[in-house]
Amino acid sequence: MAQAAATASALAGPRLISQRQRAWRTFRQNRTAVAGLVLIILIVAVALAAPLLAPADPTAQSIRMRLQAPSWANPLGRDDYGRDILSRVIYGTRVALQVGILSVLLGGAVGTAIGVIAGYFGGRIEAMLMRLVDILLSFPDLITGLLVVAVLGPGLGKLILAIGLTIAPRFARLAHGPTLSVKKRDFVEAARALGVGNGRILRVHILPNVLGELIVLGSLWTASAIRLEASLSFIGLGVPPPTPTWGQMIRDGTIYLTDAPLYAIGPGLALLITVLAFNLVGDGLRDVLDPRSRA
Amino acid sequence: MLRYILRRLLLAIPTLLAVLTVIFFIVRVAPGDPATAALGDYASAEAVAAMRERMGLNEPLWKQYLTFLADLARGDLGRSLITGKPISEQISFVLPYTVELAIAAIVVGLILGVPIGVITALRRNTLIDDIGRIVSLVGLSLPAFYLGIILMFVFAVKLGLLPSVGSAPFSNPGKHLQHVILPALALGLIETAYMARMTRSVMMGILSDDFIRTARAKGLTERMVLIRHALRAGLIPIVSLTGIFAISLIGSSVVVEEVFARPGLGRLMVGATKQRDYTALQSIMVVYSLIIIVINLMTDIIYTFVDPRVRID
Amino acid sequence: MVFNGLVRYQPGNSAVIEPDLATEIPEPEMTADGKQTWTFQLRQGVMCHPGPQTESYELTADDVVYSLQKSATTERSAYAGEYAGMTFEKVDTYTVRITLDRPLSPTLFLPKVANYSGGFIVCAQAVEAMGDEAFKTHPVGTGPFMFQEYTPQTAIKLVAFDQYFRGAPKLAGVELRFMPDVSSRELGLQAGDLDVAEGLIEAQWVERINASGNLRADVFGVGEVSFLNINITKPPFDNPLVRQAIAYAISRDDHVALFNEPVAEPVYSVVPAQLLPGGLTREEAEERGVLFEQDIEKAKQLLAEAGYPDGFSIDLITSEMPTYRRNYEVLQAELAEIGIQVNLNVVAHATMHEQIRQDVNPIVIYVAWRPNADAFLTRFFHSDSIIMTGKAPDTNFSHYDKIDDLIEQARYETDPDRQEELWKQANEQVLRDVAAYPLLFTNQVYARSTAVDYGHELVSSLALYPQITELTTINR
Repeated sequence: MAQAAATASALAGPRLISQRQRAWRTFRQNRTAVAGLVLIILIVAVALAAPLLAPADPTAQSIRMRLQAPSWANPLGRDDYGRDILSRVIYGTRVALQVGILSVLLGGAVGTAIGVIAGYFGGRIEAMLMRLVDILLSFPDLITGLLVVAVLGPGLGKLILAIGLTIAPRFARLAHGPTLSVKKRDFVEAARALGVGNGRILRVHILPNVLGELIVLGSLWTASAIRLEASLSFIGLGVPPPTPTWGQMIRDGTIYLTDAPLYAIGPGLALLITVLAFNLVGDGLRDVLDPRSRA
Repeated sequence: MLRYILRRLLLAIPTLLAVLTVIFFIVRVAPGDPATAALGDYASAEAVAAMRERMGLNEPLWKQYLTFLADLARGDLGRSLITGKPISEQISFVLPYTVELAIAAIVVGLILGVPIGVITALRRNTLIDDIGRIVSLVGLSLPAFYLGIILMFVFAVKLGLLPSVGSAPFSNPGKHLQHVILPALALGLIETAYMARMTRSVMMGILSDDFIRTARAKGLTERMVLIRHALRAGLIPIVSLTGIFAISLIGSSVVVEEVFARPGLGRLMVGATKQRDYTALQSIMVVYSLIIIVINLMTDIIYTFVDPRVRID
Repeated sequence: MVFNGLVRYQPGNSAVIEPDLATEIPEPEMTADGKQTWTFQLRQGVMCHPGPQTESYELTADDVVYSLQKSATTERSAYAGEYAGMTFEKVDTYTVRITLDRPLSPTLFLPKVANYSGGFIVCAQAVEAMGDEAFKTHPVGTGPFMFQEYTPQTAIKLVAFDQYFRGAPKLAGVELRFMPDVSSRELGLQAGDLDVAEGLIEAQWVERINASGNLRADVFGVGEVSFLNINITKPPFDNPLVRQAIAYAISRDDHVALFNEPVAEPVYSVVPAQLLPGGLTREEAEERGVLFEQDIEKAKQLLAEAGYPDGFSIDLITSEMPTYRRNYEVLQAELAEIGIQVNLNVVAHATMHEQIRQDVNPIVIYVAWRPNADAFLTRFFHSDSIIMTGKAPDTNFSHYDKIDDLIEQARYETDPDRQEELWKQANEQVLRDVAAYPLLFTNQVYARSTAVDYGHELVSSLALYPQITELTTINR
């Protein structure tokens, strides 16, 4: 019965409201996904309420107290400029969310569109788009960053653009393969035989079948994006000091792994929790979107 | 098939040309000067000017570009601006190290990631699933250099099982392999996270799919269903992901190469970028792009083997 | 390790110059037409390393003259400027005479023929056979170790040269590895895979290494000076009150605390008094009224007087290297205190070096070692050295032009005491005009396994790393 309904809606046009409700129900039933969502809301709250939560000014230096061990006043200790590490981790949430979410959304949307369109239409469009992807893939992260700085100059927006540019071709290649395989399947051929338009087929049949894995991966890519921020910072693409960022803190903290272990572990843990939250939600979304698991 | 491969390789030429052109001009527009980098900040302005002349940097840009293309057409990768040595020599020395590290890291990712993915998919929403998730995400949240340092501290300093830094020549395979293990783990653990999460996702989709249900209905054992159908159908995205990892590994292995003091293409590339060694950088990019084109081609060909529904023409 | 000079900085102590290829350090002589000559007797039996295309042969006056002439040629050397007005001639097989158009004191002359940069004596036959280009990556000299192999961005291998004139080296060879990550260098030492490694320029690091039993961290010279250069022509910094305000905003002790003693020490003039004649000590700076100790209230008042009661904002770039970035970040916080907002961008080291030479930063923090007061003052504060517009643009980022006379007078002053006083006066003037603000010097930090004995006490090294000589041993 359920399957009949799904098929009917796919052919006769989705009843959006009921679909959305059903999606939300599926998602809600997934307890881990809901836990992830709660975590994300908490993380966003931390980012917004940073000034209220942070025990100290994240940029206030006191050099004489550099690398001081954890205490009640500085639960994670002080960094190499004598700044409160906990406050910097809390404020760092802001940049982490911007870089992690925006760059993956940007790269993901553009990349997926390219991959799906290329795979579905084939022929000259495919050849052209996939060559473009190959060109973009041929630039290592660092060179892409250099390119963006050289053309646009430094800044947070450009950093997000550079990371998005790094991620997009990867999404494209990942979306491309499954599209090739999905488009040959019976239900797509059937839809085409019934004269359903290309745009509709892409939206209703191809995308949901491809998107599941991409969302899961996208949730992981937020971590890579946050880490990439640190490695791009030394070619002038990073977030300028003294703004705290997790990537930069982990990078600097590694030097003091034995003297002040929490310098790197603090932001590392924050990064882990954030990625975990995104991944839990990503897995949940995947289940909602996957037309096969609706049955 | 052969015709397809040939056509793809021919199509790669314009790609390569586009990449090279962008690289050629971008590295020269980016601030920084190879003459200053080569001589150090102590050198006088005249010395730097003389060096620029000798490096041929005062030639018009289009002329440098044409020279580069002409050399390339003859198969000549040119000489490094900084060391004056043939670049092909440097690349052929480091390439085996890089390829070896990339393969080893991919093997680590597959060996750890795919089983974790399959098990967590089968035991979906249980404690095992949660543990698998957290374990694989820890690897992802730690930057490769951090992971490398921790691995080195545990296995080389505390346990004394493996060498910490450096590399051994290929002529001493036993020692040589010992030097690969830790760097491959540091790189491979990041991939493990991606591989595990994606395998899980793919498996879950497939396990609920029609043909699996049909197979089950036919009375095949769970294990047979898994191996014969599910894994096979899940291979396409795994192949794609492996291909992409192979590509990013070669570019991003630089951190691990630096931490473990291994020779490698990534290091050569970053070094050339830092020193603004234009000629070396553009030639390394030629090789790098070629590798990527080959990996992409291989990925596309493997699709046709694992999923007969995909045809290439 | 590969080359020798006519004279050398004593291994482990670059303050002492001793004979190397020469049998002794000669006294200069004056000619009738006012020129100065230095005549060096060479050791006999000094052998060249075998090169890729040449056999080992005995080094003679021909090689010495060839080497120095090479250093004096702009097309072949980065140091040609240092050898202007000098001629080199062979007197006989073992005698070389150097003639200077204008006399120089030993302090300024001897470094030019010592075993550092332009003073390296190469084996002429090897260079001629190979060409300059190939010689760069395969040096052939007379030192205790000879070149074996170079892997770009990875390592250099040297092997012992048994015919070295001071005796065969006790080590079989030396491998120099390029490892940018300090944590992995430390672990490599601890695991026993490395014998000597560059450390972190920080007192805490030194203490930690020394606490670990089988490792020892050495702190040694030469110290590199970190100082601010303020562009005195660019508004609002053309106003002396603004520059004074900046000077009073800075806490030298905070900058020192970034690295801590004994790794870093405060300096009170750009020429470091602790290391070179001609610098100002704390007392001297105080006496001459150019100490500028932190005084935030006074700084704010000066800024208000200059017409900026609410401060202003500036854009600066810094290299990603810690010695630069840290000083810039502390400066950023210090200037924020008096209302000057610094927007700081981190760029690659090479990029910073190019950009600051194009006048991008109104305040340039520079970290440098120069062999003497003359080099410091000429290159940073002589009008010829002004970036972009000077006669020979170099590193005068301040666009400063008020001590040209003092510099030139001091350069050709042959009485060491008077020379020193002139240099002090020059330093004082720079500070009075706040064209620069001296912060500190940082020493070099290297760690080694306790099994390593350099064969000399390590006080200072011009090369910035410990010298490995024929006497160095490893006893495991």
